[in-house]
Amino acid sequence: MNDQAQRTISVRVRRQDRRGSAGYWQTFRIAHQPNMNVISLLQEIAARPVTVEGRHTAPVVYDSNCLENVCGSCSMVINGRARQACNTLVDALLAERPQVEIAPLSKFPVVRDLFVDRSRMFDALKKVRAWIPVDTYGPIGEGPVVAPEDAATRYDLSRCMTCGCCLEVCPQVNHRSEFIGPQAIGQAALFNLHPTGAMNSGPRLEALMEPGGISDCGNAQNCVKACPKQVPLTWAIGKVGRDTTLHAIRRWLMK
Amino acid sequence: MTTAVEAWLRRNHFLLRRLHSLSGMIPIGAFLVVHLYTNSLAAWDAHAFDKHVREIHEIPYLPLIELLLIFLPIAFHAAYGVAIAMQGRSNAAQYWWLDNWRYTLQRVTAWIALLFLVLHLLHFRFAHWIGGPEYQATIARGMTPFDLTQWGFVDGTPVAAWLWVTLYSVGLAASVFHFCNGISTFCITWGITVGDRARRRVFAASMLLGAVLLAWGFASLYALTARPKPDLRLPPQPDARPVALSPADGGAS
Repeated sequence: MNDQAQRTISVRVRRQDRRGSAGYWQTFRIAHQPNMNVISLLQEIAARPVTVEGRHTAPVVYDSNCLENVCGSCSMVINGRARQACNTLVDALLAERPQVEIAPLSKFPVVRDLFVDRSRMFDALKKVRAWIPVDTYGPIGEGPVVAPEDAATRYDLSRCMTCGCCLEVCPQVNHRSEFIGPQAIGQAALFNLHPTGAMNSGPRLEALMEPGGISDCGNAQNCVKACPKQVPLTWAIGKVGRDTTLHAIRRWLMK
Repeated sequence: MTTAVEAWLRRNHFLLRRLHSLSGMIPIGAFLVVHLYTNSLAAWDAHAFDKHVREIHEIPYLPLIELLLIFLPIAFHAAYGVAIAMQGRSNAAQYWWLDNWRYTLQRVTAWIALLFLVLHLLHFRFAHWIGGPEYQATIARGMTPFDLTQWGFVDGTPVAAWLWVTLYSVGLAASVFHFCNGISTFCITWGITVGDRARRRVFAASMLLGAVLLAWGFASLYALTARPKPDLRLPPQPDARPVALSPADGGAS
């Protein structure tokens, strides 16, 4: 028992003091406790922000909210993989390698330390009109009946929490490309599957036919594997690929 | 000017991307299959190969077909493909997934296939640009295509036969992978395969086709390089420049 209490974990954290400034690494040594997650590691650092060299430093800044894999705000690159800090368990990481390494998402601008600015994804939702427009506040009666299969597919797509893991692992999302990323395509597919939302499928598809849209996907299919919510992103990309193909042909032949 | 071209490219972005995808299948991929089929005949029977090549050379409007269905689509696919490849940043070393490696290999093989294609064209189609014989005219004057092709590999150039075999093996493998993996990504891009299982099936089928194409390619490469044929001679060229020809004593076998 005594051995267990004295066990410590080496935690290497990528720091950055402000937007656009150079990043640097700091290493901390944290006492091991059973069932720790990465958030609790960061909390331990905040309680005693002293590096292994004995330097007193500022607590590590990070974004988090729900702490139960629902809000999507604590995405980080942990041991080289994009994932949620809240649902990544330290003992599982230590089984991979002896040191825990935490870096901010690389495809988003760093605000400070591990806290990144994810607003490009919210802008993308506006671009694809990821909502159902309702033009009245009055009662409009019941909506159309939906087949259970469609409802189930839509439920899978609706789990997206805008965490950014799919953009982080996508080789087509980088500073040289305009690719909107899998997340927005998944949400466009979600609202196009809704019987009322389908009435606006045209503008959604056309937004995704522009530069940076669906045709900038490189078919690496990393998104679906990295998604912490198992959103069927490659299915959505395939579906939107089909719908844009048909939309383009229809537009070409009927106008 | 640049901005006008850029604006046009952006306005037609979706169409151009889809045409890039389509051109890889039809006509370029189809041409690759036909080309490797023709070559494969050399592995079975030199006479069948000769007969088939002569038939191809007798197709009406051949230069037009070559230009519109082969050269221009390849030039477009290559130029637009280079622009696309410049926008990607592979992370296969970090995210070690098969599909991610396919993404990377698709781009690596594209570069190899493009370099190989230039080499291959200078080797056989436009050899006269760099001092070689005009192959089509030489065939028209009566030399059999099989002998002429073998001459091109074994004696026609100062490049050793084993080096040709190596270059062609790499170029062949890259081209076949790029095309066959391209079949499965074509099906995703156009929304033909939407589900995961459908994609895996198409990928398996495309790799099976790749195995056949590779077998054809390597068999014909073997027949046209390693199988020695004594005493190859080019008929004299009409326009002065003598082509140095020695009896087949060179690198092969």
